Amino acid sequence: MSIEVKDLHFSYGKVTALAGVSLKLGEGAAGLLGPNGAGKSTLLRILLGFLSPDRGEGKVLGYNIQGQQSLLRRYVGYMPEDDCLIPGMDAVTFASYFGELAGMPRQEAMKRAHEVLFYVGLGESRYRMLETYSAGMKQRLKLAQAIVHDPKLLFLDEPTSNLDPQGRKEILELIKDISSKKDIQVFISSHILSDIESICSYVVILNKGKVAAQGILSDLKEVQYRLYEIKVKGEEERFIQKLKSMGCKVDETEDRLLKVYMPADKDLLEIFKIASEESVQIRHFVKTQTSLEDIFASAVGVD
Amino acid sequence: MSIAEKGYTHWQGELKERKLRWWPITRQGIRLAFKRKYFKFSFFISLIPAVGFLIGIYISERIEDFQSMFKGSQKFLQVNPAYFKAYFTGEFLLFMIVMIMVLAGAGLISDDLKYNSLQLYFARPLRRKDYFLGKASVIIFFISIITLVPGLVFFITKLLFSGSFKFLGEYPWLLLSILIYSFILTTFFALYTLFISALSKNRRYVSILIFTVYLFSDILFGIFFGTFRNPYFALISIKCNLQQVGAVIFNQKPPYAVPWFLSFLILCVISAFAGIFLQKKIKEIEVIK
Repeated sequence: MSIEVKDLHFSYGKVTALAGVSLKLGEGAAGLLGPNGAGKSTLLRILLGFLSPDRGEGKVLGYNIQGQQSLLRRYVGYMPEDDCLIPGMDAVTFASYFGELAGMPRQEAMKRAHEVLFYVGLGESRYRMLETYSAGMKQRLKLAQAIVHDPKLLFLDEPTSNLDPQGRKEILELIKDISSKKDIQVFISSHILSDIESICSYVVILNKGKVAAQGILSDLKEVQYRLYEIKVKGEEERFIQKLKSMGCKVDETEDRLLKVYMPADKDLLEIFKIASEESVQIRHFVKTQTSLEDIFASAVGVD
Repeated sequence: MSIAEKGYTHWQGELKERKLRWWPITRQGIRLAFKRKYFKFSFFISLIPAVGFLIGIYISERIEDFQSMFKGSQKFLQVNPAYFKAYFTGEFLLFMIVMIMVLAGAGLISDDLKYNSLQLYFARPLRRKDYFLGKASVIIFFISIITLVPGLVFFITKLLFSGSFKFLGEYPWLLLSILIYSFILTTFFALYTLFISALSKNRRYVSILIFTVYLFSDILFGIFFGTFRNPYFALISIKCNLQQVGAVIFNQKPPYAVPWFLSFLILCVISAFAGIFLQKKIKEIEVIK
């Protein structure tokens, strides 16, 4: 297990940030989702060893998060959300500097800095002053400094923020490459659900300091409910009411398409029975894939 | 710009714990200082007094050769603890130390605050004391170059030119005085500069503040002393306090009729306050927003 935490509690004074978070993350890429104030940043701080939990325990890469922070930080990489740089430095010096601080010998760090800068696509600009970098280049630079010491686990905080669509696509490709082919585990905190969906096989959804849902993405999509898209003709309101009373969640889109989230234990024929009872014609009926957005909305309790 | 011009390869080496974890911070800080505009010039200017005093030592040993040039100036060219005190507490030297702090020290913490790089430091196996020590060592390095190093060079040069250990026998404590006063100067200015650097994210404000606080405290002393003729107003001047302590350490009469320990106490209070402030301001747990 790369990350294993049990019953983590943490409060900022009277405000509870985490209330009994337990996680077990294995290999590959995992996504951390949650609305603002859900406790994502606090969880990241605890996993990086910046904060000590009030209660509970945990290990990251086998190192205790409360007593072995220094060792832990040697083997993890961290890409923060904010733009980070040191004015007056070029990219090679910057990346090698942080490699050295992680414990690499100076010359090795310099050699490695060149390699990772080429890898993230900054090879041509590696001698340019960092102040002259664009937003996309700064994002790549942050990734370069996070992987320069070849970490075993990579924490990425909003890795695609401030990027144009092309830049976003390229960064996601890099992260996908790192997590799937390079034997580096990745833990991504992001608000962009499609990013998480495209990279991560495992998701953790936090809400109000608790784990609202976690698991392998494909399992979460399957187990919780089936999603159908329906178009009807007739007395629509009563039909929707009856579906809701049966336990379905119904969303209506702008083009009058009904998205019906049906609990796994319910029979599909029930929908047709209700339609028959309410004299409603079903003109369109398609079983569709549940997206991460649907799971997120269901777990967090918002549409 | 294309992605993955080269593939990712794992690094085969082993990450090791450094004995001096703060050293890369110091090295980079010194490197970046030399890249700053006007720094090299200021640093060069700050070495001029040292060269002047060194020439003075040479002349004092060859005074017979320079009789015609320095008639009546023998007293001035006597190399003794007063000579060392004159160098270490000289107004020009103290002023140049402040100038070097403005150019090399102002951005040490304020740039990290402005460009959010603190979180990158603390995501490494680095403790808060390593960070402070790394930054403080940049200042210690530059001040030592213009205080401790010239002091030791003066001492050795004097011994070499005199060709005997008579000078060492007369003032066996002088070497210790050089070390102690250099330590006081470096510690005080390191804490003073880092404290002001942590006050703002704007390097320019920090530069102005480092310079203004030092200068304004001295101007204030000048105004009050001129008006009331009370030497105790020397205690509000950073420069005067440093000169008072320096005089005592080199076994000389303090320039102002104020107990020297009060000046020392004030320097200690300023340093302690700066240290406490830095501890509270830069916290590892606050680095991730």
